[in-house]
Amino acid sequence: MFMTRSEYDRGVNTFSPEGRLFQVEYAIEAIKLGSTVVGVRTNEGVVLAVEKRISSPLLEPASVEKIAEVDSHIGVAMSGLTADARTLVEHARTEAQYHRFAFNEPMLAEALTQSICDLALGFGETDEASMSRPFGVSLLIAAWDEHGPQLFHTDPSGTSSRYDAKAIGSASEGAQTALQEAYKKDMTLGQAEALAVATLKQVMEEKISDTNISVSSVTLPEADAPEPLKFACHYVPGSARQPVFHIYTTAEVKAIMDRLTA
Amino acid sequence: METMSRDVAAMSGYGASSAAAGPTMHQWSPYVMNSGTVMAICGKDFAVIAGDTRMSVGYQIQSRNVGKLLKVTDKAVLGTGGHCQADTLNLQKLLRARMVQYEHQNGKTPKTSAVAQLVSQMLYGRRFFPLLTKNIVAGLDEDGVGCVYTFDVVGCLERVRVACDGSAEELIQPVLDNLLERQHQQDKPKPPPLHVDLSREDVVNIVKDAFTSAGERDITTGDHVDIWVIDASGVHQEKFDLKYD
Amino acid sequence: MSTASIAQALNEQRGGFDFELAKRNAALEGAGMKVPRATKTGTTIVGMVYKDGVVLGADTRSTQGPTVADKNCQKIHYIADNIWCCGAGTAADTEFTTALISSKVELHRMATGKQPRLVTALTMLKRLLFRYQGHVGAALILGGVDCNGPALYQVYPHGSTDYLPYVTMGSGSVNAMAIFESEYKDGLTQEEAMKLVHKAVLSGIFNDLGSGSNVDLCVITREGHTLHRGYDQPNPRRFRYPGGFTYTNGTTPTLSSSFTPSRTPAAVVGGAGMEVDA
Repeated sequence: MFMTRSEYDRGVNTFSPEGRLFQVEYAIEAIKLGSTVVGVRTNEGVVLAVEKRISSPLLEPASVEKIAEVDSHIGVAMSGLTADARTLVEHARTEAQYHRFAFNEPMLAEALTQSICDLALGFGETDEASMSRPFGVSLLIAAWDEHGPQLFHTDPSGTSSRYDAKAIGSASEGAQTALQEAYKKDMTLGQAEALAVATLKQVMEEKISDTNISVSSVTLPEADAPEPLKFACHYVPGSARQPVFHIYTTAEVKAIMDRLTA
Repeated sequence: METMSRDVAAMSGYGASSAAAGPTMHQWSPYVMNSGTVMAICGKDFAVIAGDTRMSVGYQIQSRNVGKLLKVTDKAVLGTGGHCQADTLNLQKLLRARMVQYEHQNGKTPKTSAVAQLVSQMLYGRRFFPLLTKNIVAGLDEDGVGCVYTFDVVGCLERVRVACDGSAEELIQPVLDNLLERQHQQDKPKPPPLHVDLSREDVVNIVKDAFTSAGERDITTGDHVDIWVIDASGVHQEKFDLKYD
Repeated sequence: MSTASIAQALNEQRGGFDFELAKRNAALEGAGMKVPRATKTGTTIVGMVYKDGVVLGADTRSTQGPTVADKNCQKIHYIADNIWCCGAGTAADTEFTTALISSKVELHRMATGKQPRLVTALTMLKRLLFRYQGHVGAALILGGVDCNGPALYQVYPHGSTDYLPYVTMGSGSVNAMAIFESEYKDGLTQEEAMKLVHKAVLSGIFNDLGSGSNVDLCVITREGHTLHRGYDQPNPRRFRYPGGFTYTNGTTPTLSSSFTPSRTPAAVVGGAGMEVDA
């Protein structure tokens, strides 16, 4: 029979006498089984890099999706029960689109992170739509809004924090130490890409390749010269330069790895 | 007494038509028209929005001092003309609540363009039972340039330089098109894309003249005009007198 | 219609209304045509008897829907030197009805050689209005002084009449009546009467959107009448754009121009008259 810590870890909404919610703590433990995810923020953009566990040579690596676009300026990388993340990503995408629809502007990263957390801690509520247990997934959220490039982290308890660099997943402890040692405030985007991939390389059990990791970034590309404005109705607020979230192609990943070995 | 009922009908509204022969179909008419006018003009670093303060039903004045303007943020004002006052109040109340909600969720005051988009969305939300409100949002955009947004009753949104809505729209809009857009002054330079090229004082005087003239010919526009100027330092409010008749 | 029948129609023209197009117009209306609306004088008209005569009062706004059609129209109409009539309702109906009755009263005066009486004008008016069953939309206040002294009548569009010491009509009648009901007394002096009538009209001007602009008064006594056109002008325009708006030459550009001299008049040869068959 399975050993339980106490009888208080059964209900998702029951505190133990010590003031702990065991189901939430177990969910956080589930992240530590997940594949490693690294995020690095610089003034030029935010990089997310994830490890893909290719459990079988017959598995198509491209079908393992651990990075998702939420809006054109926001992307997330996940670790833990990635199926649970789909629910959160779907919710985040809806919120981001609703914000554009209602306010004609991109949603702030912090507001989006908060709305993900609202859903994450809404488990165990009586309504049909809510989850019966905590989401067993942790997210790194890369975004560029009017406050600049940002990296957020969320966990199953619905807590969120902002980081310069963060690692989650099974090798997160080692990866976080590596990041802490190598991170500099004035890194370029290229250096951040290298740091993220190098960190993964360092902690991954399998040999790193351009197919068993996935990399993405949010950057602010130079804008094209705008069309001359003729009427007020042609003016679209904030359209001059727009940040872009981009998931790297295999060739782009390979280019980073080549730089690393060079 | 026949004469009495006729007199009452005549007093109840200028829109009353003569009784048609045959059976009368009674329709549900949930709207009441309280009329009045709003207008807005935006300049290089300011915007002016104005609305008269008369509220009427038919030939009856309900109030001489009902404002049509709502300060939404320090940089955005909503003006509602040609309106059903009940609908206006409802829209203002909902908008205020949404603004507070926005500030809490996003930790910032919404930009004027966001206010405009939200108003548009709220109006379109009632596509098949619209609020009887003609709205204008005026303020400063994120670059500090004056901006004016207009809406139709179901939320069609457009950024313009000058706008007028409500009962005296037909009287005032052509004057604005001529004086500010210079649509009929073919030898004069056209205004820049986002705003008119007149001084704040000139714009306020044009607003005063426009409302005075509208008050001469539109019976539902009168009493006073709220003239609010929005600039980088905030919303400056002025009251200007119209005729009481 | 042939030329002959037009001539015939003109010869047979004896006054009164022409209903020739009534059926056609009804058909057009039924097919959805928008019928142009007549100008209504959304109005405050009042009248009051005082010690020595009658004071009539009126505002000067006429409206078409919510738009002011005339800011200074005259609603106190002449019937005879000793009889005047305020009109409310359809502007054309009040003008033509009073003008028609004025003519008839004048003919009657010349035929009888006596000063016209109010009842004469009143009877003519109500008979005319009753005949048209309310379709002539004239609501009138008839006042004046005759051999029986000062008198005041109210005439409704359907032809019914009232004889009263003070009356109000039009869309502002309730506002004006409020003043009379609270302040009217028998036997006021002319000065007091004018003041009260003035106040009653102002009440309509300021509280009724169909009434506005100025106050006209007409005082009729045994000695004669005085029409105070623009007695009070409480609603002057308050603001104009400083310096006004000016437009330079060329505001409307000349796209092209050409000059064609008018044809030289044909010279008349001989100067003799046209030859006519004998």
